[in-house]
Amino acid sequence: MEKKGNKYMNPYLAGLLLGLVLLASFYLTGRGLGASGAMKSVVVSGVSAVNKDYAESSHYYSKYISDDKKPMKSWLVLEVFGVLVGGFISGAFSGRLKFKIEKSPKITNKKRIRLAIIGGALFGFGSQLGRGCTSGAALTGMATLSIAGYVVMMAIFGTAFALAYFFRKNWI
Amino acid sequence: MKARYILSIVLVSLGLIAAILPQNQNSSLELDAKQLLNEIQVENYVISIDEMANAMINDDPEYQLIDVRSKEEYEKFSLPGAMNIPFDQLFNEEWAPYIDQVARKNVFYCNGTTLASDAWMLTRQKGYKNNYILKGGLNNWYTTIIEPDEPTLTNGQEAMYDYQARLGAKQFFTGAGAADNSSNKKKAKKPVPRRKKKMVAGGCS
Amino acid sequence: MGPIIPLFEISEEINLLIAFLIGLGFGIALEQAGFSSSRKLAGMFYGYDTTVLKVFFTASIVAMLGLVFLNDLGMIDMSIVYVNDYYIASAIIGGVIMGGGFIIGGFCPGTSVCAAAIGKIDAMYFVGGSLIGILIFGQTYPLWEKLHFAQHIGPVKLSDTLGVKDGLLGLIVIIAALLMFWIGEMAEKRFKREDISKEL
Repeated sequence: MEKKGNKYMNPYLAGLLLGLVLLASFYLTGRGLGASGAMKSVVVSGVSAVNKDYAESSHYYSKYISDDKKPMKSWLVLEVFGVLVGGFISGAFSGRLKFKIEKSPKITNKKRIRLAIIGGALFGFGSQLGRGCTSGAALTGMATLSIAGYVVMMAIFGTAFALAYFFRKNWI
Repeated sequence: MKARYILSIVLVSLGLIAAILPQNQNSSLELDAKQLLNEIQVENYVISIDEMANAMINDDPEYQLIDVRSKEEYEKFSLPGAMNIPFDQLFNEEWAPYIDQVARKNVFYCNGTTLASDAWMLTRQKGYKNNYILKGGLNNWYTTIIEPDEPTLTNGQEAMYDYQARLGAKQFFTGAGAADNSSNKKKAKKPVPRRKKKMVAGGCS
Repeated sequence: MGPIIPLFEISEEINLLIAFLIGLGFGIALEQAGFSSSRKLAGMFYGYDTTVLKVFFTASIVAMLGLVFLNDLGMIDMSIVYVNDYYIASAIIGGVIMGGGFIIGGFCPGTSVCAAAIGKIDAMYFVGGSLIGILIFGQTYPLWEKLHFAQHIGPVKLSDTLGVKDGLLGLIVIIAALLMFWIGEMAEKRFKREDISKEL
């Protein structure tokens, strides 16, 4: 594995770093990391900007809007903004800043984009039903030894493994 | 290669230590011995007989008397309006909403002060607020309200006022209307708001 | 004693600043691990690159051990720390849908943001897709509302259910993870794809 050179950090070292960030989050704020929650905030404020009355009457959106709290001024939105900046800094530092579509040479760019949108939509939908994504439900949940964390983790990775064969052409 | 070997050794050793450690439950609300000592020294957990009597006469809903003696003793005699939480049942689930609340002042009492002080110390150590003890307990109640000593002239004006108030209180507590002790054992109302730790919102919600 | 911000009632502005700083660390860790590359992430499911497994499990074990030790030192009140609420049906079905999204789209929400930050165009479309997915969920919420709240178990910890201490369960998780790391490294040799690894 080290033959690849040192383009990326050793995965175990990167895991240690990520674990320490997660631990710092628990120690400082009592909560773990998250990502899909911030995307939800974007959607909720978008819907509420288009039609405020509709958003307030919906059982779903109304949970996240009230007079004293703005969905975009939330912990997760700021945290994901940090991910964006942190990813950029790290990419710049390691010389990886480049516009690029990553895919198997067997498929076209158009197909890759279409699959990315479908995959994203499924992930977005699933994260709302399952109360969190790989970060908020699985990673964070596993660190606190919560059952929900382990169940979501196994469901995500189990399904991805089970379906891997059917989508192999997209990746290898 | 072997980042994995180093990782394995470190993680398994840390894991073994983690498995051996006792899993204490820390509570940010609980007081340690030093903090408790400070609170005991300040002594503002004591309610005087006069203050209590005055509150009882005015039917002040801010105060709730709690008799921490046994059920038998409570039934034989108790102060008007008091509820009974026997000392050995102090931490029973059913009493939790009464001793762990923010709505009013609980005043523990017993014959002397031993049981009441112990009850106060135990609840305070758990971080419960708004619990107090009745100064001197029932013995003091008796000598202060039921058989008050008449102050001599050297005691000054204030002692005289106190004495008058106590005579009034005696009249209130021992008068014709108060003779029926059983009617005094009204059921204490359950205080609604319970002290809660602030929970952290988390996950992706 | 921690967690610092909820216990000491620190102002909202500082809380949000901390959120940004933690996100910064999160983003750097993800990018350095290589999670900004969809083919590297997908490698997990074809065996040629098991970085996801290694990073993911190492991170959760480090945080888990950290919490056990902080608790032992009396530095954190674990009763305040958020434990994910468990609703059996929605956790499993949601997880299955996310798994499908993972293998089709090649990212998860956190990694897609990180990858979009360094210019991966597929990641930007994935983020857009996620917003669409959330919007679809929101618009069709009445259909799912019942399922969303079905079979509520509560914020339960696996260690409590099994009746063991957190530390002991932690040791079991560590041993299981080390076994998986070993299998993962064997798989990387067996399913080696030099052509892909070169490009990553």
